[in-house]
Amino acid sequence: MLLQKPGLREIDWAMFFVVLIICGLGVLQIFSATHGSVIWEGSWWKQSIYIAAGFFLMWVVSNLDYNSLMQRVYPMYLATVVLLIFVLLAGKRAWGSTRWIALPAGVHLQVSEFGKLVIVLLVARYLTELRGELLDLAGLLKLSGMILVPMALIAKEPDLGTALTYLPILGIGIFLAGLPWRYWASIALIAAVVIPVGYSRLEPYQKGRIVSFLDPERDPKGDGYQLIQSKIAVGAGGPWGKGVTKGSQTQLRFLPVPHTDFIFSAFSEEHGFVGVTFVLSLYFVLLMQVVQNAQMAPDRAGMYICMGIAALILFHILVNVGMVVGRMPVTGIPLPLMSYGGSSIWSTFLMLGLVNSVRVRRFVN
Amino acid sequence: MKSSEKWSTEQRIAALCSVLVLWAVAITGRLVQLQVLQHKELAAKARLQQEHKNPVPAPRGTIFDRFGNPLAVTESVSSVVVDPKHIVNPDLASGLLASLLNLDRNVLLEKIIRAKRLGRRELVVKRRATTQETKNLVDSHLAYVAIRPDTKRVYPNGEIAAHVLGSVFRLKGPEVGAAGVERRLEVVLQGQDGEESVLADVGHHDIDSELRTAARPGTPVTLTIDERLQFVAERELKAGVIAKNAERGSVVVMDPYTGDIYAMANYPTYDPNLPATDPKDHSRINLGAMAPFEPGSVFKVITLTAALETTKFRPETPVATGGGSLKLPGRVVHESHHGYGTITMQQVLEKSSNIGAILIGQQVGRKNLYDYVRRFGMGARTGLPLAENRGLLRPVEQWGSTTLESISMGHEVAVTSAQLARACAVIANGGSLVKPRLVLKRGSVTEPVEPPQRVIRPETAMTMRMMMEGVVLRGTAHNHVKLPGYTAAGKTGTAVIYDPKKKAYTHAYNASFMGFTPVTNPRLVIVVTLNGTHGDGGMGAAAAAPVFQNIALEALRMYDVPKDIPEDYRAKPQPKGQILADLAMPLSKSSVMEEAGTLEKLLAEEPVKIDPDYVPPSGEAGRKPPVLLAGLTPAEPLPATPAAPAQPVIPDFRGMSLRRAVAEATANGLELQVQGSGVARAQIPGPGAPRKSGERIRVVFGK
Repeated sequence: MLLQKPGLREIDWAMFFVVLIICGLGVLQIFSATHGSVIWEGSWWKQSIYIAAGFFLMWVVSNLDYNSLMQRVYPMYLATVVLLIFVLLAGKRAWGSTRWIALPAGVHLQVSEFGKLVIVLLVARYLTELRGELLDLAGLLKLSGMILVPMALIAKEPDLGTALTYLPILGIGIFLAGLPWRYWASIALIAAVVIPVGYSRLEPYQKGRIVSFLDPERDPKGDGYQLIQSKIAVGAGGPWGKGVTKGSQTQLRFLPVPHTDFIFSAFSEEHGFVGVTFVLSLYFVLLMQVVQNAQMAPDRAGMYICMGIAALILFHILVNVGMVVGRMPVTGIPLPLMSYGGSSIWSTFLMLGLVNSVRVRRFVN
Repeated sequence: MKSSEKWSTEQRIAALCSVLVLWAVAITGRLVQLQVLQHKELAAKARLQQEHKNPVPAPRGTIFDRFGNPLAVTESVSSVVVDPKHIVNPDLASGLLASLLNLDRNVLLEKIIRAKRLGRRELVVKRRATTQETKNLVDSHLAYVAIRPDTKRVYPNGEIAAHVLGSVFRLKGPEVGAAGVERRLEVVLQGQDGEESVLADVGHHDIDSELRTAARPGTPVTLTIDERLQFVAERELKAGVIAKNAERGSVVVMDPYTGDIYAMANYPTYDPNLPATDPKDHSRINLGAMAPFEPGSVFKVITLTAALETTKFRPETPVATGGGSLKLPGRVVHESHHGYGTITMQQVLEKSSNIGAILIGQQVGRKNLYDYVRRFGMGARTGLPLAENRGLLRPVEQWGSTTLESISMGHEVAVTSAQLARACAVIANGGSLVKPRLVLKRGSVTEPVEPPQRVIRPETAMTMRMMMEGVVLRGTAHNHVKLPGYTAAGKTGTAVIYDPKKKAYTHAYNASFMGFTPVTNPRLVIVVTLNGTHGDGGMGAAAAAPVFQNIALEALRMYDVPKDIPEDYRAKPQPKGQILADLAMPLSKSSVMEEAGTLEKLLAEEPVKIDPDYVPPSGEAGRKPPVLLAGLTPAEPLPATPAAPAQPVIPDFRGMSLRRAVAEATANGLELQVQGSGVARAQIPGPGAPRKSGERIRVVFGK
């Protein structure tokens, strides 16, 4: 049975409220950052609709049996790869990269966002079907290969940031599955070789981002600009913040994209250390809820799914907040639940739906 | 350490959670660093890039004429400024701006390209943009355009008193005086700019501003100039120059007692509202104070005064001028037409006898003549707050063999019209050298009148007055100066012009007339000089004296000077056949004029200041036709008397009922102070007086 009827009370209510508050603060910040803007005025309203739709999606997915979804993961994986190829061939181009499929009614679907979900399921399915206690080399290569295909396609868009988000799913999967130490060592070795080679093949702007994160003052008007402005905005917020719509870095548009990638920076300026700590603890609670659901999962598949999702969300927060405070390069990875954007919101809610799907079935066994 | 494969799933999750906690601690630490520890530093950085300071322009002080009519005012305007660095395509930008602001596209393009090359961050494209132009610009959302509050000097009367007022220009920052009073009183007129801090967004669009220090406006200055008389002087001078086909001319009208300059006119002139475009623009020279010339026979007044003071010469003392020629070392002097035989000293002046002046000068002697020429203020600046030329009077030691004789008739000495006016005032006021006064008040403080310096005995001045009256009644100026009801005294002068290039005297004249009226209680000293006249009609009497007459007529009427003779008094007619000419005769090549300098030399020393940012408006409308000197039709209609141009005046309330007067006042935006009842009988200020804002009109009503 694909559709079951779990009781509404079985949903993770703590997670629900935490998500609601984070989303609410996100909408508030989007409103503050875009009011008076010609292009983005009204984004907060759209975001509210995305969020409402997201909750609906979450509820629908909660009702789906994750085991049934896992049974269909290979066709889903194939469909994702096909769609990613389609994006490359006929996608919508914006800001120098091709990431979207234009749907009717002006909706633009970012396939790579939804691909995350499929990868989570794929890793979970693959690891639960392992015969041995530990992952062997063949299995590891096979799984890595399957993940590298969509990653390569996404990197080609180019959207290296999103492509990289697939890695922690794999990483946490194999860590939980257990990998012999020598494999870890060889992965480290391969990484040591691949990273310099990969760096040399990066686009100039990508190299610039990495270099500038290490030394933003090297090119304060160019590559280092966003990081410097973001740091100034965070610092200018001070302990208490400047108040909604009062952040001058945000309002005077010194801060780039203050409603999407740098929303956390804008939030820091307007709400200060107190506000930021509050939001970060909400994210912490959210992650802990997901991890708790993993621990309470009825089977290994459920555990893998929850942990994969936790890793994914954590990676996003880590990279985005790290970027905002000047500890990570600029990658274009949004802050889940706060950054403006339907695809990001929906993929996050779909994942949280999956977590709930695992949760409501925790007493099955 | 044993391998991790022994770990349970729970342990692995716990390990991951501890990583999460570690990260949370790290990020919190970083936030504390940024938001608490570095907060001040980063907030300062934010302010630094968001705020910038703009000057708040202070208006220059207004310049008024002696009756409070504004001659130069400062308007608050919007200036259009572009940031050349942000202009990507100068060609496109200049086309767009030129069409929006009605400017010359090519000049603008050139300026933008040059400013870009020089790396300037600000280029003023247009000052005094209209509201519509400003609105169009704002609507076009050009990132490189900013609109700034600015000030603009405006001369509401155009050319009136242009040379006295001067003009302004700007290199950078506020407008500064380029010439005239504007330049000399820069410190007084210039205000002190205030400062505002402006919040600007990343695209340099100003969002909000806050006044830090208010602008302190410049001190207003009241001149001794009478706008009406200035207008008359300019009109008559222009008519005189055109009628006599002269090259240029100047007029100085002065109060002989206080030294107040009522009018100082030059032709050609210019409109100070139009920015200078030519650094060698002759029309911008204040000839009256700046252009020295050999005065010729008017100087005989000084020679004869010196004789009255230092020798036994009296007006009736006979002087044997002989048959019309006098032998000097290496040179024979001629009268301008014919010999006069033996005549009195009085007649020497009346007939402007060269030989007579030389003989008298020889009696005075070098030392005394030099002394008296100095006493009359020659060779020294008059002290006007203007750029001034001191003329040229050589010390006695440098005099040549015939310098004494030359100076006796007004050669080998260079003077300005302003110096002549001051010299003439010595005779008119009874023997004192006054310092000409051009500034009446700075702010509300009246400029002190410097105590006049007695330079000749009063009785000498009286005698000379009488002798100069003879020039008008019987002498060279006879028939050329007719002031019904008023006496006048003066001296004509004509000197051939020396051409320093050809090193020879030309056939063109400096024609001048210096005089005063009325004779017994002189009210006005007027000096008229026309440079570059020709022929008999171009001599001082025929060319300059009528200008004196016309200005004097208007001035006496304006100042309501009491008449001192019957209006129908007629001077005795001139004996038939007598030709009086006042042409002085140069005795040697004039090195004086080579030294005193030509206009070209003056301009080379001090070129006209040019505003480098000026972009001319496009189309024919903005182009001013060049001032034509020759070939102007003398029949050009001259504007009527004191047409104070487009200035609101106070209406005539007299004869109106109270109700009508109030209605009339309301319609004109005036406030009445009503006194009595019935019909309006009198009003203060009178009808036609210029209107000043906030003024209340006192109207007296009676039955």
